[in-house]
Amino acid sequence: MLSLTHVTKLYGTVIGVNDVTVELGGGAHGLLGPNGAGKTTLLGLVTGQLRPTMGRVRVFGERPFANPRVLRRIGFCPAADITERRATPREWVTYLVRLSGFAGRAAAVRADAALERVGLGEAIDRPLSTLSKGMRQRAKLAGAMAHDPDLLVLDEPFDGLDPVARHDLVGLVRRWAVANDAVAGPRTLLVASHLLHEVEALHAGLAVILGGRLVASGDADEIRELVDSMPSEIRVRCDAPRRLAELVCGTPGADSVRYEGDDTLVVATRQPKLLAERVAAVAAEDRIVIREVLAGDRSLEGIFGRLVRLHRGVGA
Amino acid sequence: MSVPDVNHADSGSPPLAAAVGSTLAVAAFQLRRLLSWQRLVMAALGVIFPAAVMLAVRRTARLGLDDDLAVLMLYALVPEAVCMLGLLVTMCPAVADELERGTWVHLAVRPGGRRALLLGTYLAAVAWTGAVGLLAMVLALAVMQLPNPLRVAGIFAGLVAISVLGRAALFSLPAVIMPKRALVASVAAALVVEYAAGFMPAVVNQATVSLRLRSLLVAWMTWRQRLPVEIHLLVDPQPPWVQIAAVAILVTLLLTTAVVILEFRQFPPSDEI
Repeated sequence: MLSLTHVTKLYGTVIGVNDVTVELGGGAHGLLGPNGAGKTTLLGLVTGQLRPTMGRVRVFGERPFANPRVLRRIGFCPAADITERRATPREWVTYLVRLSGFAGRAAAVRADAALERVGLGEAIDRPLSTLSKGMRQRAKLAGAMAHDPDLLVLDEPFDGLDPVARHDLVGLVRRWAVANDAVAGPRTLLVASHLLHEVEALHAGLAVILGGRLVASGDADEIRELVDSMPSEIRVRCDAPRRLAELVCGTPGADSVRYEGDDTLVVATRQPKLLAERVAAVAAEDRIVIREVLAGDRSLEGIFGRLVRLHRGVGA
Repeated sequence: MSVPDVNHADSGSPPLAAAVGSTLAVAAFQLRRLLSWQRLVMAALGVIFPAAVMLAVRRTARLGLDDDLAVLMLYALVPEAVCMLGLLVTMCPAVADELERGTWVHLAVRPGGRRALLLGTYLAAVAWTGAVGLLAMVLALAVMQLPNPLRVAGIFAGLVAISVLGRAALFSLPAVIMPKRALVASVAAALVVEYAAGFMPAVVNQATVSLRLRSLLVAWMTWRQRLPVEIHLLVDPQPPWVQIAAVAILVTLLLTTAVVILEFRQFPPSDEI
């Protein structure tokens, strides 16, 4: 449904995205990365706002840039707030649906239904300037979904929402992603965010982008496996770190050791589970008192942090 | 996965109808935007300004104002000054306004959204500025006390229409080529193209709206026989339909070029670079 092959986008001498290759089918997908990583550029390429400097972008088998047939099937909710303040959500969304090719009456009906779906039914005729940021965010989402696209691309869609609204909209977007279109088949949802828990909540496949490069992709477990194959660190606080280091050095799985302060040994390993068991065993044999063992952060947030650090060459 | 050759979103509108509908939707939206009190005050000033000038001139002219000179002044004030200024504030920011408001991206991802934006804004600018020009002309004629005001009003309605249609198309180019400097570029285009090249007695003035307007004014006011010979160089002797056709061709060329440029313009997300 969506493929990028060795795609690079340059703005003069500044790199937006760098040699990205990725293929996404139906279902939900998350694009993760810190601010400035290249997420918005990538979405710009997918939604036909930008043309790649090098490489090939295909959406529904065609290039999206200046291609109305593809654009008709895409819904896009940008990250930037709407500063169209005098219009009401109804006027704004109807306007967008009309630009998608619908006649006035049909556009109004679709706009009303979409606004109702995102929970903005009560505020449908209030000027956008009088709405909270969260409500404007809902209006943007309604504008992206109202024409019933096959590919929904959302850039930081839950930004500015309160927890209840966030929960509601995550549910709404997830339901949208799993519902198949009777005519066109499975739908695709692509959500860019710098918050992992947002993407995790969508049960989406992940692609991590950093410095314009795609540094990892897969589902959450695959990314964990990928990270597990890279060196991770185990911190052991004990009463005899130097003795423990001697014992651990000869152990399979220990890549390197170093000290932190007088009582902490840091062991780098690609087999953290095996090494932790080994450390416990040799410490027990040698009567070394272990006060604390800290494994690398295994949460998705921690994994993301590690990928970022690895990419920057800071080390795990 | 290939794209079925249907309007997927079952809009039911054939491509041409959808394109016209999108353009009209943008025009209506832009006109609603123009109905702010700031814009209405500016429009009111545009309506009053020519009448105020004509009134002041009439009161200060001791021997009375010659009718032809009064018509010439009205020409300079309405189809030239008021229409030009009106278009500078309505047509020039066609793209810049959307970029500033953060609405560009919403329009750029719609099928034909870029084209609809330009053509819809063009229609809104023409309608708004044309209405201001016509009201300004009517008010000015009311204070001028010309012998045949209805005839002059008819002539000037045509001149205002041609002026706004032609100049809005001219300003569409700076609006898409350099949106962030569109106003400066449009003023430069007005001075260089419309007034420097337009008054040059050479082939280059054939591609200007100002030559066509002057020629139509001379033809419709039947001034040609009374014009000094040297002024003949500044007007085109062809009949009015040729002048109107020339403006129509110019408008088509300018708008087509602007649409093509805008279709392929890329605006990088500023937070990414």
